[in-house]
Amino acid sequence: MIRVLEVYREEWVGDYVILEYKPIELQKPSYAIISLPDTGLVGVISAWHIVKTLQLTEVGGVDSYTYLPPIVVVSNKYLRAPIRVFSGNNLLVIYSEFMPAQHGLIQLSKILTNYLERKGVDYVLLPSGMPIQNRFEVESLKTYYLATTTKALELLKSVDALPFENGFLAGPYALLLKEFTRARLNTILLLTESFLEFPDPEASAKNINVISRIIGRDIDVKELLEQAEIIRLRARDAMKNTLRGLAQLRKDVEYAVPLYT
Amino acid sequence: MDEEFERLFKRIKEIERSFREYIEDEFQRVIRRLREDMIYVERMFSPMWHYEGYLRPLYSVIDKGSYYEIYIDLPKADEQSIDIRFNDNLMYIKARLKEEIKFRGLSGRGGETKFYEYREVVELPFKVDPQKVRIFAKRGFVKVLIYK
Repeated sequence: MIRVLEVYREEWVGDYVILEYKPIELQKPSYAIISLPDTGLVGVISAWHIVKTLQLTEVGGVDSYTYLPPIVVVSNKYLRAPIRVFSGNNLLVIYSEFMPAQHGLIQLSKILTNYLERKGVDYVLLPSGMPIQNRFEVESLKTYYLATTTKALELLKSVDALPFENGFLAGPYALLLKEFTRARLNTILLLTESFLEFPDPEASAKNINVISRIIGRDIDVKELLEQAEIIRLRARDAMKNTLRGLAQLRKDVEYAVPLYT
Repeated sequence: MDEEFERLFKRIKEIERSFREYIEDEFQRVIRRLREDMIYVERMFSPMWHYEGYLRPLYSVIDKGSYYEIYIDLPKADEQSIDIRFNDNLMYIKARLKEEIKFRGLSGRGGETKFYEYREVVELPFKVDPQKVRIFAKRGFVKVLIYK
């Protein structure tokens, strides 16, 4: 028999519904990691590994009948929302393998901003990939960062990452970054060099190493790297579906050279 | 009077031209949309695996000016068994998996299927001369260069 998680709290915001299966209390300083399907599924693979390694509990979900495909996720006989929320200690992870429609992304960015503010999250981390044309040849990957506040920048003092100074960003993380900046949330966008069109667990591992330093918790990536090929194999469908969404979000703009920097 | 007729005639021709352009644009837009929908429906009926035990790889085709660059993602493939052939504008990909793969934990939909190899036929927008092809394999990825 299928089981339905008891909903502790349900809140409709615009065309989205936020579900909580239990009270979410985060220790301080608190961090939120948001993973949406994007370049090489770097964010999704990173978040999935963090949830698995730190054994975070599923505490909620986000759904929309307007902007998300009519999907339910069935996990160990439980019905879950397409956008899943995991938590443990001082960490909140918002995880989705599905890309909402473009208009839905704008509303989702606003809703997440409001939700994270209300949860009193101190820092938001956005792990993503930066497509490079010669990824086939490159083995040592660089990570770039973008911080929205001085407080967020302080967390990056001892990490192996370079500042992202000039260029275009397109896609779901560009939207989130805009909204979080407007709301003055301490946000760090991490961009590790990766494939655009193929799942890239190696880039995810590099992102996780940086996240591990930022949040001060050890997250082993050995298993992720050992399992890299099987993750790539399993992630083919998710990647194929993501590419369609990315084309609509003008992801190609990221390869363009700005006239004025 | 002649000048006025000439101006009127010119104006009618301009309206006719812009109307024709509008119709052409709209027609192309509808055709494009129809093609996208057809590709989407076609993909819906062709998942990335087959119950006979083969997987379909992800690939990309990029026009680099003097040559085409094709990347194929073949995780878990036995590099020695990678077989890429061309016939006209078709590229045939075949590779054995290093070990038998199962999507454990998945109910139905391939959850019970054992996968042994990759198979794919890619329709390219050009005819390929096999003499002008170079193939590289590394870490489960294949790069194919086709010189124009």
